[in-house]
Amino acid sequence: MPSRLLEALPLLWQGTRVTAALFFWTALLAPAIALPVALARDSRSTASRRFGHGFILFFRGAPLLVVLFLLYYGLPQVNALRHSALWPLLREPFPVAVLALALNSAGFQAEIMAGALRAVPLAEVEAATAAGFSRWQIFRLIKLPNAARIGLRSYGNELVFILKGTAVVSFITIRDLMNAATEIYSRTFDPITPLVSAGLIYLAMVAAVAAVVRTMERKLDPLLRAAWRGRRSAAVMVAISRKLAPTVH
Amino acid sequence: METLVLAASWSGQLAAGLGVTLALAALSIVLGTAVGLGCALLAARPGVFGPRLVLMAAGLVRSLPELLVIFAAYYGFAFLLQAIVAPFGVTGFVAIDAFWAGVMALTLIHAAFCTEVFRGAFAALPPGPIEAARALGLRRVPVFWLVAWPLALRYALPGWMNLTIVSLKLTPLVAAVGLQDLLRTAGDAGRNTHDYLLFYLLALGIYLALAAAIGLIQMRLEARLTRVWAG
Repeated sequence: MPSRLLEALPLLWQGTRVTAALFFWTALLAPAIALPVALARDSRSTASRRFGHGFILFFRGAPLLVVLFLLYYGLPQVNALRHSALWPLLREPFPVAVLALALNSAGFQAEIMAGALRAVPLAEVEAATAAGFSRWQIFRLIKLPNAARIGLRSYGNELVFILKGTAVVSFITIRDLMNAATEIYSRTFDPITPLVSAGLIYLAMVAAVAAVVRTMERKLDPLLRAAWRGRRSAAVMVAISRKLAPTVH
Repeated sequence: METLVLAASWSGQLAAGLGVTLALAALSIVLGTAVGLGCALLAARPGVFGPRLVLMAAGLVRSLPELLVIFAAYYGFAFLLQAIVAPFGVTGFVAIDAFWAGVMALTLIHAAFCTEVFRGAFAALPPGPIEAARALGLRRVPVFWLVAWPLALRYALPGWMNLTIVSLKLTPLVAAVGLQDLLRTAGDAGRNTHDYLLFYLLALGIYLALAAAIGLIQMRLEARLTRVWAG
């Protein structure tokens, strides 16, 4: 068993790198799609609101694999697309996989962002308005930082779902970590070693994402940030205030 | 018109695939909910080791890619069965049915997420009604079924309904181990007719309709439960 695992290591490493790359690009693209959708969902214009709602409903209800197959096998049938400038990108499995993962996640991320933006204390927005801030300034300086703090926990969960979701790309011939595991199985006829190894690598990646989100949480919260710099008593105070927070509102 | 005829010629197979998808989703949701409820109750029991073990196992399943769990249920379980029956002289290749491997994997995943939903619901229960029931002399089981469970259901319902949609959306993954479900049938139809777009759009429409139906049931149920709550 150990020698088999040793032989399999380069393949697993290669797969891990592909999975990490997929995760990285998806985590970058998804919020870029989700933020405009979140803003549209709660905008003043009815048409925008309809679009935002529709987008969220559509991509939250559509299975990831169906979206992936539709983009990978279905899009090449659209002639207009085949002659467009985007075609060299959409012909390759990797960008299509990133697009499918990002669209799928954007439905959920938009809902998280919209919820977090709505949860920003109205008093702060009113104070900024009274102080003469423009709408863009209020959004950038008041709403966005507040919402980031409020939504970060759910957002972290969503990042884990993206990471787990990347495993489906092996369906469209991308040699990711999941694909490496099945490849090793088909060579050795031993499913346990590759599946357990891949499982452990996925777990380590999930733990890394969770650790990054926790660090972000600390950095984004001024109280927690102060507590982190020094006094333990302050950390206790923050912990208490956090516990009380939901009942205060 | 031509596309309609094309789609209609595959309607029988697609309906069969839809049946497989629905059976897989229904079975794993029912079984997974039962297991998840059991795990949530185990986790709420006094003791350190047992509850921790349950929560750790649930967390582990939640962190692994669903596809990996499905592969583990299909290849790993067959491999283990093979190792178990080998000493009795059975040396052939042991394979388990893709459908039942899918039920096993999706049940496990549904249960792992349900554990968290039910645990949260039980934690959110107000202590008053339960103390009152105890004070009236009700025993532990009636307190649970008559007071704690109906109250917890209201807290758990939104999360649980979301999980049913999640589990429905996971069923296409079981096609990876050869299950002829709705998505795989749509793929076959696409390959045969050279019209992937049509059949994948059709499949997507059916999945969306199912998700919307669950959403509607959720709204109805929530309205019903909160009506009793207010009255």
